[in-house]
Amino acid sequence: MPSYFLYAGCLISSRLPFLEASSRFVLDRMGIDYLSFPRATCCVEPIGLRSLGYDAWLMFVGRMLSIASTERRDVISLCNGCFLSFKEAIHHLERKDVRERINRNLAQIGLEYRGGVEVKHIAEVLKDQGESAINALVKRPLKELRLACHPGCHLVRPSKLLRVESYFSPMLLGKFAEWIGAQVVYNELWPRCCGGGLAGIEDRISEAILRENTELFKASGANCILTPCPFCFLQFDLRQKQGIPVLFLPEMIALAFGASAEQIGLRYHRTKLDF
Amino acid sequence: MKKSSYDTALERELHDSLSHINLRKCHQCGHCTGVCPSARYGGIRPREIMERASKGTMDLRLEQDIWKCLMCNSCSERCQVGADPAHVITLLRNAAAIRGNRPPHFEEEMKLFVKTGMSFPRTGLTKKLRSEFSLPELEVDEKVMEELKILLSLSRLGRF
Repeated sequence: MPSYFLYAGCLISSRLPFLEASSRFVLDRMGIDYLSFPRATCCVEPIGLRSLGYDAWLMFVGRMLSIASTERRDVISLCNGCFLSFKEAIHHLERKDVRERINRNLAQIGLEYRGGVEVKHIAEVLKDQGESAINALVKRPLKELRLACHPGCHLVRPSKLLRVESYFSPMLLGKFAEWIGAQVVYNELWPRCCGGGLAGIEDRISEAILRENTELFKASGANCILTPCPFCFLQFDLRQKQGIPVLFLPEMIALAFGASAEQIGLRYHRTKLDF
Repeated sequence: MKKSSYDTALERELHDSLSHINLRKCHQCGHCTGVCPSARYGGIRPREIMERASKGTMDLRLEQDIWKCLMCNSCSERCQVGADPAHVITLLRNAAAIRGNRPPHFEEEMKLFVKTGMSFPRTGLTKKLRSEFSLPELEVDEKVMEELKILLSLSRLGRF
């Protein structure tokens, strides 16, 4: 079994540490070998920062990839945004001229990217564990949940690169729900954007997109939104008007594995859940 | 700002990716705009961006629509010819940013990254929560900051 560095990213590690707590709980229970990512920086996230610093993006992801390759570890990402940032950078760094240019920069800090590091979203790591491994650890089937599944853009698109999930009518979140005894009442056909990318920039558009999502969830009779993305999590938890609580994928699995609400910090959700 | 050989390389990369790889493939079919969540609410229209960029009728110092993209990648997923509008928009945003056209929100994020290596602020609450859940300290130490400075000095981001 591969060993990993756990890359929590900026949003989770600084603003939503309770999501890191539930993720670590699940990884520990599953016996996955991981360490915190050493000397990590921001992944130069793909919405804002990369829009200003395309060159910096390749350098900083290249830097972290070379650290991981030196330590011979793959990477687990807890965030759709970081996941895309890493996967796209790996893709671009396959081009010889781009890699040579970035390696000339990395040489200034004594590093070199040679490839060979795999980056996985935590949903992918859990998928690889499979139904029987997850099922065996369930202590408390979550029968009361009627879920609306929201994969988030950067778990599925670009599908040629990410390859975790189908880009049309994705089923993975629904499978996890089934494995831990919950019920799915709504699946997105074309995985939708939560509107988070324009929060603080074009709030009118951001809120309209958010409302479109949550009105569909509400109409389906869902009592909870399930998402593997911390940006979607924040957008739903903080800004939606429909009042549907949201669970981050590792939170749901942790609860099913017997974690208490206190242990994983459910009280820090703005939209409260009954557990 | 003084031009270095690096600036020329970046400009060339932007130019090459835009004019030769992506823009020429676009058939102006409009699938991208059809699937764009921002377009539905009067935001960016990717087909129109592809058209204006390929005709060269876009003033990057003033262009505002490129900043109304959510980077959801729906347009590129839908594109039948591989013109990858989302990638074009990313490159256009970079070219605009170099010319001084940057939304304040992203500018703030950039300043925070340059200062701390992170794009979300670490606050008192961060510390409190991390210790409450027994999570390891995640301070970006001096060695990381030194590396950050060196890499930033080699990138555009460090010289805005």
